[in-house]
Amino acid sequence: MAEFMEADNAEAIITRIEHKSRKIESLLKQHKPVEALKTALEGSPPNTKDERCKSANWIVVHRAIMAIKDVDSLFSYLDPEYYDILMKYLYRGLSTGDRPTCDQCLRIHEKLTERAGLGCILRSLADTVNIV
Amino acid sequence: MAAVSVHQFAQCITCHAWSPDHSMIALCPNNNEVHIYRLSEDDKWEKIHVLQKHDQIVSGVDWSISSNRIVTVSHDRNSYVWNQETTEWVPTLVILRLNRAALCVQWSPKENKFAVGSGAKTVCICYYEQENNWWVSKLIRKRHDSSVTSVAWHPNNILLATTSTDGKCRVFSTFIKGVDTRDSTGSSADSKFGEQIMQIDLSFCWAFGIKWSPSGNTFAYVGHNSMIYFVDDVGPSPSAQSVAFRDLPLRDVLFISERMVIGVGFDCNPMVFTADERGLWSFLRFLDERKIVSSSARYGSQFSETFGKFYSQSKYGTSNDTSEPSRRRGTAHENCINSILTMKKAGDSIATRFSTSGLDGKVVIWDLQSQKDLSEYL
Repeated sequence: MAEFMEADNAEAIITRIEHKSRKIESLLKQHKPVEALKTALEGSPPNTKDERCKSANWIVVHRAIMAIKDVDSLFSYLDPEYYDILMKYLYRGLSTGDRPTCDQCLRIHEKLTERAGLGCILRSLADTVNIV
Repeated sequence: MAAVSVHQFAQCITCHAWSPDHSMIALCPNNNEVHIYRLSEDDKWEKIHVLQKHDQIVSGVDWSISSNRIVTVSHDRNSYVWNQETTEWVPTLVILRLNRAALCVQWSPKENKFAVGSGAKTVCICYYEQENNWWVSKLIRKRHDSSVTSVAWHPNNILLATTSTDGKCRVFSTFIKGVDTRDSTGSSADSKFGEQIMQIDLSFCWAFGIKWSPSGNTFAYVGHNSMIYFVDDVGPSPSAQSVAFRDLPLRDVLFISERMVIGVGFDCNPMVFTADERGLWSFLRFLDERKIVSSSARYGSQFSETFGKFYSQSKYGTSNDTSEPSRRRGTAHENCINSILTMKKAGDSIATRFSTSGLDGKVVIWDLQSQKDLSEYL
């Protein structure tokens, strides 16, 4: 029964992520990359242990991260409540080892650390519950 | 300057404690001994006693104010209570019945009990039994899921708050028949020894350094994730606040008043947290002025260089360049600060002086009297 619930829950989360993905695409078409990133980070990470959901959400966040062109202006619009979760996704990006992804994540990481401090890194490393 | 004096005692200090009149200091120089220093007339610290009984690193020391006794705990799983007889300090062994290291110790406010936190997931409450001439250890077992890193006594002498590496913070009753009287317990009169009053489940990683406010209405503790937690209304319906800050995690905290907390830790510089009129806590500023760091070759990594620049910019308005040139990071401490103690004298309503010690082997005495912007929180 519990397994069935979990699967059911996962389906619902996947649907939500798909919906989020469409919204992000339309925001990117309107040249609103920061809004797209905010949308991607909202409700992240999905509250489940299902790996499929985690990767689906990562694909969406990755799309939004890669669309950021001007890192400086990103932080004039991004509210501090997103900093901790963004840091967690940056580390997920760095763990992929993919060259363009790592370049982009490092660029944002530098600016984010300047703004949110080492405490933000510590929080993202120490948080073992909200795994992205 | 907020730092009144800086004393280099050893390579590294694990813990320190002051004598009742603050003329002597007991500290462990990261080995199995406790050294007692006295301030001589020409303002120099001289070593007058070495307490040698433990086999391993002394992890905690506390000096009681009215009974003038020192308690020490060590990784060797034992504890000693030291009494001064004429000129010598005489130890009494306290068998804690632990199978892991003892990590911290504190005398209760009435000094008839002391609490020891340990790596054996237990807390020992020790008290003196007159008829046997013996310190007895009573254990609170099966409550913690990991090591107990810090213990703090409520002013009522009954409640004990603990933090643990399982990330949780707990409050226990330590009522012991024959030692405590019922009327001293107040609202928690019904609770038996070892009963858990509450558990706070905010942190997902190691928790350290818990302290009560002077009134006992609030307590604060820190997490290893650069967060500090404030808990009000201890009891069935507590209210808690979490404050995230931008720098390295803290190891210990101290309430200066109901509205001001000093936190010390890996950032080597005490942080000031204050509560506004509505009781909301926030980070105010660093206590020590950072010197403007010149981009010299002393800093190997580019990262710390940019970090130094950032600080020198943000502190530009307040920094006065009177600190000694030898200070490496422009602060009184050069390594992680792991303990902070109040230097409250008997009769003081509020203590503006406190001391910190850390892995750099220094003891620094601070005074908030000169800090004009903090006076409204005292």
